[in-house]
Amino acid sequence: MAKDRLSEVLERYEAVIGLEIHTELTSLKSKMFCGCPVEFGGEPNTRVCPVCLGLPGALPVPNEAAVEATVLAGLAVNCDIALWSQFHRKQYFYPDMPKDYQISQYDLPFCSGGHLDVEVDGDAVFQRVDRDSEEEYTARIGITRIHLEEDTGKMIHVGGAEGRISGAEKSLVDFNRAGTPLMELVSEPDIRTPEEARRFAQKLRLIMLTLGVSDCSMEEGSMRVDGNISIRLRGEIELGTKSEIKNMNSFKALHDALAYEIVRQADLMDVGERVVQETRHWDVGAKRTSMLRSKEEAHDYRYFPEPDMVPFAFTEEWVESIAQRVPELPDAKRERFMGTWDLPKYDAVVLTSDLAMAGFFEAAVAQTGPARAKSVANTMINDFSAHLNAEGIGVDESPVKPSMLAELVVLVDDGTISGKQAKEVFSAMVKTGEAPAVIVEARNMRQVSDTSAIEAVVDAIIAANPDEVASYRGGKIGLVGWFVGQVMREMRGQGNPKVVNEVLRRKLG
Amino acid sequence: MIDLSVLSATEIRDGIAGKRFSAREVADAAFARVEALEPSIHAFNQLTPELAEAAADRVDAMVAAGDELPPLAGVPAAIKDNMNLVGTRTTCSSKILASYESVYDCTAVRRLLDAGALPVGKCNLDEFAFGSSTENSAFGVTHNPWDTDRVPGGSSGGSAAAVAAGMATVSLGSDTGGSIRQPGALTGTVAMKPTYGRVSRYGCVAFASSLDQIGPFAHNVRDAALVLNAIAGKDEMDATSVTETVPDFTATLNDGVKGLRVGIVRDMLELEGLDPGIKASVEAAAARYAALGAEVGDVDIPAARHGLSAYYIIGPAEASSNLARFDGIRYGYRVDDATDVLDLYMRSRAEGFGPESIRRIMLGTYALSAGYYDAYYGQAQKARTLIIEDFAKAFESYDVLLTPTSPEVAFKIGEKSTDPLAMYLSDVFTIPLNLAGLPGVSMPCGLSEGLPIGLQVIGRHFDEATMLRAAAALEADLALDMTPSMARGGLDG
Repeated sequence: MAKDRLSEVLERYEAVIGLEIHTELTSLKSKMFCGCPVEFGGEPNTRVCPVCLGLPGALPVPNEAAVEATVLAGLAVNCDIALWSQFHRKQYFYPDMPKDYQISQYDLPFCSGGHLDVEVDGDAVFQRVDRDSEEEYTARIGITRIHLEEDTGKMIHVGGAEGRISGAEKSLVDFNRAGTPLMELVSEPDIRTPEEARRFAQKLRLIMLTLGVSDCSMEEGSMRVDGNISIRLRGEIELGTKSEIKNMNSFKALHDALAYEIVRQADLMDVGERVVQETRHWDVGAKRTSMLRSKEEAHDYRYFPEPDMVPFAFTEEWVESIAQRVPELPDAKRERFMGTWDLPKYDAVVLTSDLAMAGFFEAAVAQTGPARAKSVANTMINDFSAHLNAEGIGVDESPVKPSMLAELVVLVDDGTISGKQAKEVFSAMVKTGEAPAVIVEARNMRQVSDTSAIEAVVDAIIAANPDEVASYRGGKIGLVGWFVGQVMREMRGQGNPKVVNEVLRRKLG
Repeated sequence: MIDLSVLSATEIRDGIAGKRFSAREVADAAFARVEALEPSIHAFNQLTPELAEAAADRVDAMVAAGDELPPLAGVPAAIKDNMNLVGTRTTCSSKILASYESVYDCTAVRRLLDAGALPVGKCNLDEFAFGSSTENSAFGVTHNPWDTDRVPGGSSGGSAAAVAAGMATVSLGSDTGGSIRQPGALTGTVAMKPTYGRVSRYGCVAFASSLDQIGPFAHNVRDAALVLNAIAGKDEMDATSVTETVPDFTATLNDGVKGLRVGIVRDMLELEGLDPGIKASVEAAAARYAALGAEVGDVDIPAARHGLSAYYIIGPAEASSNLARFDGIRYGYRVDDATDVLDLYMRSRAEGFGPESIRRIMLGTYALSAGYYDAYYGQAQKARTLIIEDFAKAFESYDVLLTPTSPEVAFKIGEKSTDPLAMYLSDVFTIPLNLAGLPGVSMPCGLSEGLPIGLQVIGRHFDEATMLRAAAALEADLALDMTPSMARGGLDG
């Protein structure tokens, strides 16, 4: 329902959306300012030390790998890297924050002034009514900054409904997460539709996965997206009053919450009411946002330079050395897939939208040779993806390995088995994990392409069915299918359909 | 029994190594003095005889095994109660941490004990090191061994009094604006703040992170240098500790001051309110330097007059942040009938902190608030830069600089406790060094009306060696007996 209303609303109003995306640097060995390991879960308060517990006298020592990872991320999204940077303290009281200040960055973030290009196609193109074309488009979304900070602990509220704080009897704190390196990216308010927001977040996630800095799990909270959103009448230059949306724990939630919020704000403005600046919580079950806190409760964070650490002075050479470590990014990989293997854009997009898929594809093509790249792509996009979806597993969890898929493609391509047989082999491969050649051998599925063997069968069939031969020769050429069926039955399905057809047509004359 | 009032750290170590007495006997002598003197001094929040005896037994075992003894083997040492040591409480003389048990060791304390020192106990201080008299303690006032009606200075008053009374041969204090040097002056001890970054701050409960530095108290310059040898050097747990080479600070102590350029900070010496006896004593010390062959002249540090104001912005600003963690959630004092988390925070902190702590937290919070930051914190940082520049200029012409340590000798208990601004003035000569990160040592240079006077010798960044050489030369020349009468002798005859 919201979607229909959304299109209607977006014809009159323009949405102005900026995202704040927190990414935990989960691939690092240790926390931001101490040596405790970075891992998800675990017995509460077991991965802690005096530093991340904020015990009296403990001091933070910055994790250089986290700084490098942040600079790497900044370079991957076209940011400028500050040669002079430092941490600040952001101060507020909350029980999940051991020191009652968070070591973060303020006016001197490591990275600033970047951008990402996101491509939007399909129905969502229509949400962007300022466009004069219905074709897919690319939107450039500015990135204001990326800075580094430490994550907080986690509160566990006991005795209330659904673990919410209201009505809870008591609250417990788990500091295992406290001090986990957390990278915060702030986008410019360049996003105009919920779909652009989703594509931006998805692309950023793919880049972070490519860089190997985080597992980017929205479910486990290692990637958290908040949105700032306001709307204004089309043609209006002044910004409307914004709300900040939290608790969008999936890409779908991000899209749906922003769509909901656009409609909610439009409904208020349509009847002459004002939008109030506030923070709102997305309730995925009820499919609506509700107020979390108003602007009046906003904090004065009293930022000041972190005196326990000296500022960072980087050289151009150092930044260049980090830039050398930026791997091939998704856009470049997609272009390469299209260029090197002549894949259609659709195939390239599907294969490069998942790191493991892309890796699988490249490994398989290395075995089949580039001429069979399209066949590999087809098998992966169809059979392989269907299998992964059916099992609900990731690429690496499948019993089907790149070498097996490559072998299967080659078997079809050189005529050893038919496309139909390939489906059967694929199913068997999924069940047994055996190599295609083994399956083909065991099931005696080897396709017969030998013309003389086929001719012998065809001759026998023609001799045994004089009436049908007469009908065919009398003009009922549709009967060829029936002949093919007879031949194939005789050959227990192993005749090469192409050769069988050819021989039949020749013999039937 | 061993007379700890006359033995230096080296004499104790050598005496143990030469088997003239055991480390255990030294420990017993120290605690005998504690038993006799502590009731009238109250230097300690907690005594640690078990830890001292265990440490003494380790030293004696080394002697028995014929092992080389570390430099401070068997030396009784007292530790300011804002430094963590497993097996002790670290209270910061605050109700809010009254029952807080250390779960890790402060690096400087660990290094001191690794050098063989015997931990006598944890010393009283002004709560969280906020003060100059050791009157702002949740556990009572510390008395000056020279006159028990007077304060020992502060905030490291307990560490100073323990050494002055000979209950410990050396001790550790922390200095944010003068908290080692000023009590050093008021108790007639040698008291040093090293260069910022020279000694790790890890494990010392932070007051103002950009100003704090741990340093020693001792009866003489050599002992202070020995302690600095033990505690100095890079610590991976403190990002502001530096990798600068650590020399043997005792190596050049006897090299004299011939040709050394000694600058008297003239504009500080002309400060209104400076005790004339102290001024005369500092001038006399300068004259002795000239007599010893130093080139003595005058220099001004004009920006230092902004020191006090800048310090009372930066110090409280950082303190307000550093003390936020004492919130009653994870450890420390907590009201047991809180209605919600805000109530828990507000009442635990209001009840747990003493008045001076609350005053500084409020000052600092205000100074960092939106709309005031530039006018206060920003300006203070600019003043700090000017002070750094003025000192740098002075050090172009001089190798060390001289000022009084404190504008007055030990004052009466209660005399200033109701007037925070008068109290703040106690640190007018010491604060500029913290703002500039410079090392300074206070050493006795005479008496005024029977009470010790402190001379502050200031060195270049990371040039404690020259500073200590200058102090040692004057110490030898003056040859003062700085043992207060109550602390004289072996006490048990």
